[in-house]
Amino acid sequence: MTVFLLLCLMLVLAVAAFVVCRARALALSGGKIGVLHSLPGYYGWHGAIMVLLPGLAVLLVWLVVQPMVIESRISATLPAELTADDSARALAMADVRRLAAGLDVAIAAGSVTVDASGTPQIAGSGTMREALAEAGVALAEDVSPQILTAAQAYRGLSATGAAWRALAVLAAALAGFALAVRMTEPELRARNRVEGVVEGLLMAASTIAILTTVGIVWSMLSETFNFFSMYPAADFFFGLTWSPNFRGDSELGFIPLLWGTLYISLISMLVAVPIGLFAAIYLAEYASPAVRGWVKPLIEVIAGIPTVVFGLFALVTVGPLLRDYFAEPLGLGNSGSSVMTAGIVIGILNIPFISSLADDIINAVPQALRDGSYGLGATKSETVRQVIIPAALPGIVGAVLLAASRAIGETMIVSMGAGAAAKLDLNPFEAMTTMTVKIVGQLTGDTDFASPETLVAFALGMTLFVITLGLNILALYVVRKYREQYE
Amino acid sequence: MDDMRIVERTVNTKASKISAKGVQVHYGATHALKDVDVEILENTVTAFIGPSGCGKSTFLRCLNRMNDTIPSCRVDGSITLDGENIYDPRVDPVRLRARVGMVFQKPNPFPKSIYDNVAYGPKIHGLARTKAELDEIVETSLRKAALWNEAKDRLASPGTGLSGGQQQRLCIARAIATSPEVLLMDEPCSALDPIATAQVEELIDELRASFSVVIVTHSMQQAARVSQKTAFFHLGNLVEYGETGQVFTTPQDPRTEAYITGRIG
Ligand SMILES: Nc1ncnc2c1ncn2[C@@H]1O[C@H](COP(=O)(O)OP(=O)(O)OP(=O)(O)O)[C@@H](O)[C@H]1O
Ligand SMILES: [Mg+2]
Repeated sequence: MTVFLLLCLMLVLAVAAFVVCRARALALSGGKIGVLHSLPGYYGWHGAIMVLLPGLAVLLVWLVVQPMVIESRISATLPAELTADDSARALAMADVRRLAAGLDVAIAAGSVTVDASGTPQIAGSGTMREALAEAGVALAEDVSPQILTAAQAYRGLSATGAAWRALAVLAAALAGFALAVRMTEPELRARNRVEGVVEGLLMAASTIAILTTVGIVWSMLSETFNFFSMYPAADFFFGLTWSPNFRGDSELGFIPLLWGTLYISLISMLVAVPIGLFAAIYLAEYASPAVRGWVKPLIEVIAGIPTVVFGLFALVTVGPLLRDYFAEPLGLGNSGSSVMTAGIVIGILNIPFISSLADDIINAVPQALRDGSYGLGATKSETVRQVIIPAALPGIVGAVLLAASRAIGETMIVSMGAGAAAKLDLNPFEAMTTMTVKIVGQLTGDTDFASPETLVAFALGMTLFVITLGLNILALYVVRKYREQYE
Repeated sequence: MDDMRIVERTVNTKASKISAKGVQVHYGATHALKDVDVEILENTVTAFIGPSGCGKSTFLRCLNRMNDTIPSCRVDGSITLDGENIYDPRVDPVRLRARVGMVFQKPNPFPKSIYDNVAYGPKIHGLARTKAELDEIVETSLRKAALWNEAKDRLASPGTGLSGGQQQRLCIARAIATSPEVLLMDEPCSALDPIATAQVEELIDELRASFSVVIVTHSMQQAARVSQKTAFFHLGNLVEYGETGQVFTTPQDPRTEAYITGRIG
């Protein structure tokens, strides 16, 4: 029985348990719902959960354990020369699995048949490889008899495993069903138990989010340590030159990249914060509902444009424009890609982000505060400046810091708008680059995961992570500290 | 009504400060006020009484055009302040509100320090030229609002950290700091204890010397204690308007009598 079918069956059982338990609770109440501890629906949900939870738990454990058991049993039967060391064993097992999967397909397609004893027979003439190829399964070389036997054993074990799995899962689900029906008594605290399960589910969801973050950090940490074992940390953190090469004498100083990152982010924030904030103030305080209904979605459309499209905009429009009308007349260089180009375009990208967040925050300022200010004879702009912005400030600072982390992490626009040259320069019309672009650069193409030139990407990623994490913590702190102001 | 101390009512000679004629207010399709005529006299306390939802706050908000901030609200009729129609397009509602101050039904201190709350109005209207003058205004306003003793040691702490009743007194101090000509108070004592209520009532009586005061209240006793004129609203209509003593002792309309004796409300 396939896993999907099993899930469907459990769902049916759960629905049945819901109906049965609910009906039983109703019957036990004798028409007076008041004698039940919880509403009848909760008894129903309790039944459904009692079916699903044990069933799913058994299924999950089985799905994890069965492949491990089968692998160890099969690899024990493989001839010793195939399992000489770990990598050879892994290779052979991969062959076995591939062949077993191929046989499944071929049997379904009819190019291989199964005889009474369960041994696969080639339906036409030719080799097993040809028979499999006929069914659309391509193998690199012809099948060795040992692997074929192992694959057969693998299929046999899998089939028995699946059968036992179905039995075990259904047994657990049915046991849960029976127990739930037995437990359905007026005193059963069904509501509390159901809410406990709901709480557990919510907790599991947040745990997954946290574990993912931890996993990301962990995977980067080990590679980062590898990097620092090959390349001195001081040279990385304080080096002023970034010139990787694959001859072995690279200079991997991250200061130019940090500088490029901060410079571009700074320019982008100089563009995004005033415009985004003013747009938000206009929308929240000045615009009529009709204008607001039009303008707000229009601004937010920008947020939906993929960043690579912004990159194109930077490359073909903003870059040449800045070069022809600012950089060249001012004698500041003739580079189409520049810090300015990327900064401005990232700023544009962040305008809707800031304006939308700030608009929500300004709207959350209670009307009573505005009334209080207007009632004292304050004008609109005095009210905005002296009452609304101060009251909304923590939220606005949070929004700005979030936007800053987005600017720091932006890659596409930088690589298309600012170029890929790592430079330490004050001229905003020079091409520079950022950490994110270099991470991509060091990891694409021919890479050797044992050289510092590649592993430096992980060190850069880790540093970037720490910087944005710091910004986010700062944002959280600011928001927390001032949150209670008008509540 | 035995405990009413009916204050001397020598108001008939006073000049009219605000005069409302045929005021109609609609909130979208809701007709909230129907054809209200009221004269608010100078140096007089006028009380608005009536059951909840009858339009007292709505009318109060018409008098300083606070209804402008509600998009669905439409005001018709004429309201004049010192003979000038306040709904005239040439009138700047901001200037008007500086002359007609307001204390709201719910306390709404700004999330600023107590000092800055009170200094807000004087600052934006340029009433104080020096810091000392501003300090002076803040202190007298807080004293008048009976908050000075509680607040003098914590002028720098946020106004939102005060208790509900203290916040309301802070809002009163904030309103009188701009020295308006008319002060509109929407149930200023609903969150106050009897002591603070007595202090605020005393303040209202003092304010009468320099301003006109309009007060909305649900307490008949309070209306009787502090006001010289009383207007009774019911379902958006101004049912009765006259001298407080007369409204409470010999009401002309059966609905007024029913309300003040507690039979409708
Ligand atoms: N912003 C608004 N939008 C729509 N209708 C409103 C609004 N404000 C008040 N109303 C309506 O106008 C009518 C009068 O309301 P108002 O607030 O003036 O009553 P009130 O006499 O002050 O009552 P209370 O004593 O409870 O404060 C009510 O029916 C109310 O529903
Ligand atoms: Mg009211």
